[in-house]
Amino acid sequence: MAAEYALRMGDGKRIYLTEEKILSEIEAGSGNAADLGEIPDLSVDEIDKLAQILMMPGKAVSVEHGMEVPVTHDIGTIRLDGDQGNSGVGIPSSRLVGCMMHERAFGADTMELGHIDYSFKPVKPVVANECQAMEVCQQNMIIPLFYGAMPNMGLYYTPDGPFENPGDLMKMFKIDKARESMEHAAEHLTRDTVWVMQKLFASGADGVNFDTTAAAGDADMYGTLCAVEILRTQFPDMYIEMGMAGEMVLGMHGELEYDGVRLAGLWPHEQAPLAAQAGANVFGPVVNTNTSKTSPWNLARAVTFIKAAVEASSIPCHVNMGMGVGGIPMLETPPVDAVTRASKAMVEIAGVDGI
Amino acid sequence: MPISHIMASGMTGIRAAGDLVARMEFSKNMRIGEAKEYVAKKLNVDAMDLSDEHVMRELREELDIGIITSVPGAAKSIAAKMNIEKLLGIKINSCEAFRKQIA
Amino acid sequence: MADIEGLLHEVADAVISCKKEKVLEAVEKAKAEIPPEEIIEKGLSAGMNQVGVLFERGKLFLPHVMIAADAMTAGVKLLEEGMPAGTQEKKLGVIVNGTVEGDVHDIGKSIVSTMLQPAGFEVHDIGRDVPIRSFVEKAKETDADMIGTSALMTTTLQGQREVIELLKEEGLRSRIKVMVGGAPATQAWADKIGADCYAENASEAVAKAKELLL
Repeated sequence: MAAEYALRMGDGKRIYLTEEKILSEIEAGSGNAADLGEIPDLSVDEIDKLAQILMMPGKAVSVEHGMEVPVTHDIGTIRLDGDQGNSGVGIPSSRLVGCMMHERAFGADTMELGHIDYSFKPVKPVVANECQAMEVCQQNMIIPLFYGAMPNMGLYYTPDGPFENPGDLMKMFKIDKARESMEHAAEHLTRDTVWVMQKLFASGADGVNFDTTAAAGDADMYGTLCAVEILRTQFPDMYIEMGMAGEMVLGMHGELEYDGVRLAGLWPHEQAPLAAQAGANVFGPVVNTNTSKTSPWNLARAVTFIKAAVEASSIPCHVNMGMGVGGIPMLETPPVDAVTRASKAMVEIAGVDGI
Repeated sequence: MPISHIMASGMTGIRAAGDLVARMEFSKNMRIGEAKEYVAKKLNVDAMDLSDEHVMRELREELDIGIITSVPGAAKSIAAKMNIEKLLGIKINSCEAFRKQIA
Repeated sequence: MADIEGLLHEVADAVISCKKEKVLEAVEKAKAEIPPEEIIEKGLSAGMNQVGVLFERGKLFLPHVMIAADAMTAGVKLLEEGMPAGTQEKKLGVIVNGTVEGDVHDIGKSIVSTMLQPAGFEVHDIGRDVPIRSFVEKAKETDADMIGTSALMTTTLQGQREVIELLKEEGLRSRIKVMVGGAPATQAWADKIGADCYAENASEAVAKAKELLL
């Protein structure tokens, strides 16, 4: 009987697969990415290497000596002090303590300060508080410290914001009105994020991390790219990281363009050049995990997409590898065996510049 | 989970030289290989040493660019970052802000 | 003899082109030669399925899907005009769809509603941040066959379980199917709370709704 290896489903459940099955899952996952993104499949050698990583006997695996990359952190200190039942573990601690713990106890290569709501819009009324926290953190830390938040353009639509919800307008077939609403929301998103970051940069932030760009579709990405462009013009030395929300830019509007490129329907390798063009220093590509598929399928698919993005990008790529993305299972406590295998594969096969 | 990534792939920040390599990626858009090469040259070490805690613990203290333990008298926070600016030939925003405040 | 295949292709292509006039023109042409049921199934629905595939591949976008759905509805209406009373196309089922209370995420759920409708379901999209009781009340009011619940946060997933519990309390669970979806939802979660199915995306939602309700 063929040997079986303990692996995972996309939801984190343990499964056992033979080498033959692992190889066929890798080929299928890579093929899926290649088909959707119209990019190359993984080569035979890469498939073999990925299989070897997945079949390594240890519970935790790691990159070879000398291949380490910077690991950046998003969601600020919410993973420590947040207690909303999701990413946070509810440890009562100040944000300064959280940031310093990441620097001194966890070995983070960069860190970010974030607001509990983690969106730019709600930072506006409390920006002075954020600036004060940034100043205190910068006076105590050494590693690069960003200000991070989500563009989260949905907050500009009713019932949370001033513009009519495009989803509601679409249902009434008011397509033009829906598009107008998205364009107005994008303008406000740009204006707010630039305003917030002007203040935070004056308070010593090393830069900004736009986390989950395009969560509300192509207009969300448009508003973010415009913000990146303005910030780059105003602050040539600001560190700007633009991380995505999903693998493909959802076409809510469908006609918005940046630098002559239609944003709707772009895959990671097509998004990266636009982030660079706008002025980002680092791009954070995303590939979604399918919970009904195996970890070899998901990881092969993610590595195929990210490898193409890394090759197409003129700036460093820090792949998103949190819960449910980048080959990581969709689970609040992703198994260490799955995380470390995905981590190693992204560095050694996809060639990412960071995580 | 971030700890899993750090253990599997990270440069471990100021335990070694992860912050320095990250700064070159972000300040000069350097890809990973170029950033490591640049920092290694400035530190006069091999690229492999940048993730080596044994090499970097002593070197960081010697260069006074910040270390993970609380050594009395060693440069910390802004002071350490100012030394990093000089070492890497870059400007760090919080140091600029600090200089403006004391001018 | 008319080229039946060609005419059906023309109808499907017209739907994919997302042009209402073109759809009506193609349906008008086809209905002289082909029974209405066949035009709906092999022309209009086939075209709409392809629209769904192209949407997921990033080749068509939400406005296109909406326009195609509208065009298909107009095409069905045109065909039904000529059908004897009582023979009009029967809905595959009635579905109440919404995002659970505390969760304002709207986009994914709306796309699912948009795709279910042209697939032949009567869909009542009750929006986002919907109180648990409203799902059940709407299902009673519309005599629904299925409730679709979306949750985009691990904190709001519980709402999906609560809908099922309330259906049990009301004695409706045996006749109303429940579908769950949203980023943190999984098949394991669906199994745990006793949902009838989990769908990863909009096209899977359509396929699974058909599986359960046909």
